[in-house]
Amino acid sequence: MALKFHFTPADTPRGDETNPHAKATTEVADTVQALREAFGPAVQDHLTYAGEHTVYIAAEQIVAVCRYLKEDLGYSYLVDLGGVDRFVEDGRFEVYYNLVNVAGRQRIRLKVRVEEDAATVPSVTGIFKAADWNERECFDMLGITFAGHPDLRRMYMPEDFAYYPQRKEFPLLGIPGSLPLPPQTPEGSLTMDPYAAAHGQKPVKSYEEPRSSK
Amino acid sequence: MDPNSGYLTTTVDAVVNWARSNSLMPMPMGLACCAIEMMAFAGPKYDVARFGSEAMRFSPRQADLMIVAGWCSYKMAHAIRRVWDQMADPKWCIAMGACASSGGMHRCYGVVQGIDNFLPVDVYIPGCPPRPDAVIHALMDIQEKIRNQYSIKQDYAFGPQRASPKDTAPLMVTSSGIQQAEPDVLRDHSVEQP
Ligand code: SF4
Repeated sequence: MALKFHFTPADTPRGDETNPHAKATTEVADTVQALREAFGPAVQDHLTYAGEHTVYIAAEQIVAVCRYLKEDLGYSYLVDLGGVDRFVEDGRFEVYYNLVNVAGRQRIRLKVRVEEDAATVPSVTGIFKAADWNERECFDMLGITFAGHPDLRRMYMPEDFAYYPQRKEFPLLGIPGSLPLPPQTPEGSLTMDPYAAAHGQKPVKSYEEPRSSK
Repeated sequence: MDPNSGYLTTTVDAVVNWARSNSLMPMPMGLACCAIEMMAFAGPKYDVARFGSEAMRFSPRQADLMIVAGWCSYKMAHAIRRVWDQMADPKWCIAMGACASSGGMHRCYGVVQGIDNFLPVDVYIPGCPPRPDAVIHALMDIQEKIRNQYSIKQDYAFGPQRASPKDTAPLMVTSSGIQQAEPDVLRDHSVEQP
């Protein structure tokens, strides 16, 4: 049986007169129209779901689109940026950008799709400084490169880690030996087995301490 | 001194173990949500001061009980092991909560599946998070362990590792190295036992 997904009907935007708190903030047809006029084919598609507008942008135009949204349309606040592994043949990776126009009370979501063998997106750190760590996280977890990022290092995983753990093919429990545990005595070698205790290698409580060199 | 005032005899072990077990200074290795319960354990309501352990020591040099509270990532494991190595012997370790004991619900690539893979754990506390009473119970277990220890005979630097606190026959230096003596080694065999 197919799963049904319901979103609450209250998600449809209501006018100010029925509920002063429910503003039509996520239906931004005028912004979408302005983007289409300014960028033409670089705006690939747009989607309305649950009263929210999502715009698909060609990767090479994302910086220009963000600058236009920020400087001309007032979307000055980057709320979130992240990556998705769609695990499909075409356009496997997706980067999303949630922007807010604080003064105009509007929200918009941009999406960029890239192929697995060319997973590079231009960095928007030159426009939104807040994108710095989000892009680093996205690089760490999915291996999407952000061209022009000032400091594209791993965010969470150790810097010599060789994999991208949120790619769908990465095993949930990791790859044994890729993340060493500390040595079991101060001068021992790293513990390469992540289940050392289960395999009978329990750390001992007392060991011969190194003698002072006197 | 008045010779009629009375006196008390004891062993060094009894005094040392009494002092040690009632003044454990925890090193609070708070890593996640369990650390909040560890704070409650030290706070006025559960009042671990009754057991002499209210003085949390944020310097490993002054601590002798490490409470690992929370899930531990592979990256953090190296820092924890370093702190543990800086604590002076004798020292004890509590794995607090499901995550520290076994990885808990974080069954994933980034979280160590039990800190006993790199630390010698004395007491494991189940629960997610354990109640502060359970942490107090773990502390009492550690105290029990200390009270059963022979603190003077155990040579932490050069003695062999003991299997259990009951395994406390004296150590002897023989031609083939340090050995555990027979239990009656101190008896004078030239004297007829009654
Ligand atoms: S055992 Fe539960 S409360 Fe404790 S660190 Fe793990 S998830 Fe948090």
